[in-house]
Amino acid sequence: MKYALLVQGAPYSQQASHSALRFASALIARGHTLGTVFFYHDGVYNASRLATPPQDEPNLVEAWRRLHQEQGTSLLVCIAAALRRGIIDEREARRHGKEGHAVESPFELTGLGQLIDVHTTHDRLVTFSP
Amino acid sequence: MLLHILNRSPASSRVPFDALRAMGDNDRLLLLEDGVYGAVAPLAETFASIRGRIFVLKEDLVSRGLEHRQAETMELVDMQGFVALTEQATQTVSWY
Amino acid sequence: MLVMLRHSPHGSSWLREGLDVALVGAALGRKVHVLFLGDGVQALIAGQTSGPLGQKGTHPTLDMLEMYDIDTLLVDGESLAQRGLTIDDLQLPVSLVDAASLPRVLAEHSPIYSF
Repeated sequence: MKYALLVQGAPYSQQASHSALRFASALIARGHTLGTVFFYHDGVYNASRLATPPQDEPNLVEAWRRLHQEQGTSLLVCIAAALRRGIIDEREARRHGKEGHAVESPFELTGLGQLIDVHTTHDRLVTFSP
Repeated sequence: MLLHILNRSPASSRVPFDALRAMGDNDRLLLLEDGVYGAVAPLAETFASIRGRIFVLKEDLVSRGLEHRQAETMELVDMQGFVALTEQATQTVSWY
Repeated sequence: MLVMLRHSPHGSSWLREGLDVALVGAALGRKVHVLFLGDGVQALIAGQTSGPLGQKGTHPTLDMLEMYDIDTLLVDGESLAQRGLTIDDLQLPVSLVDAASLPRVLAEHSPIYSF
């Protein structure tokens, strides 16, 4: 089956990202595919390339990126939720006259419509919230 | 059949009670994260009405020092068991 | 699709962001039903205002639902009663859901979004 995950918890504050990443490896181990991870609410902080965790803690941003590399999973970040929390990419930084940006490929800023569409393109959606 | 996923304990939240009221006769409930605190007696009695349809994520129980303390009504599942529950359900509903 | 709203206004953005999902769903042509449950019923109390520092409330968004053809607003009766509220305290006309019907509401909808 093709799965999508909705992640709504901030990394290093809530367990939601850990649970979602663990669930992601388990579903892949069972022969399913992970098509999309959609980040909403405080989940958008998972997309910050500037996160700098101590070396003895898991690098969650890197773990998401690896899912994209190994599975081709789309990492979609709700643009409305992200912008107001300072999670912007280079294009939005330019557009709003800001210096620096937090979001880089393979994470993509996108509209909420993509979350609605997930149901037509995936078999299961599982939500991980704080 | 729906799989309800709960990460709140009945000791600290009313959300578990809302989830129980919304569950259909065949629906299942999985406790994970802080929800696993509800797997231990006497809190586990909260879920007496759904005996046989309640599951607990083992790794969250273990990390909290509660392994082997869960009530006998609780069925333990590992992460792959969680995935299997989502395969069997038509959809999942998360309560947080 | 069913959007379950279970959080109260002002204290967090769950309600606002849940409503956004309902509005976007409707804008994309989905038939959207909204279920207010738990603290979500507080969203419907008449007489809300914006918060300090210009914090936007969600009450104006509720008034917009009808414009988006979201006209099925379901409210869990038990959640109202637990909070000392009745249907007369609410800013919009709603359909009450009783204890026996609540599981049926979930069973009859797909997809379900829970906020």
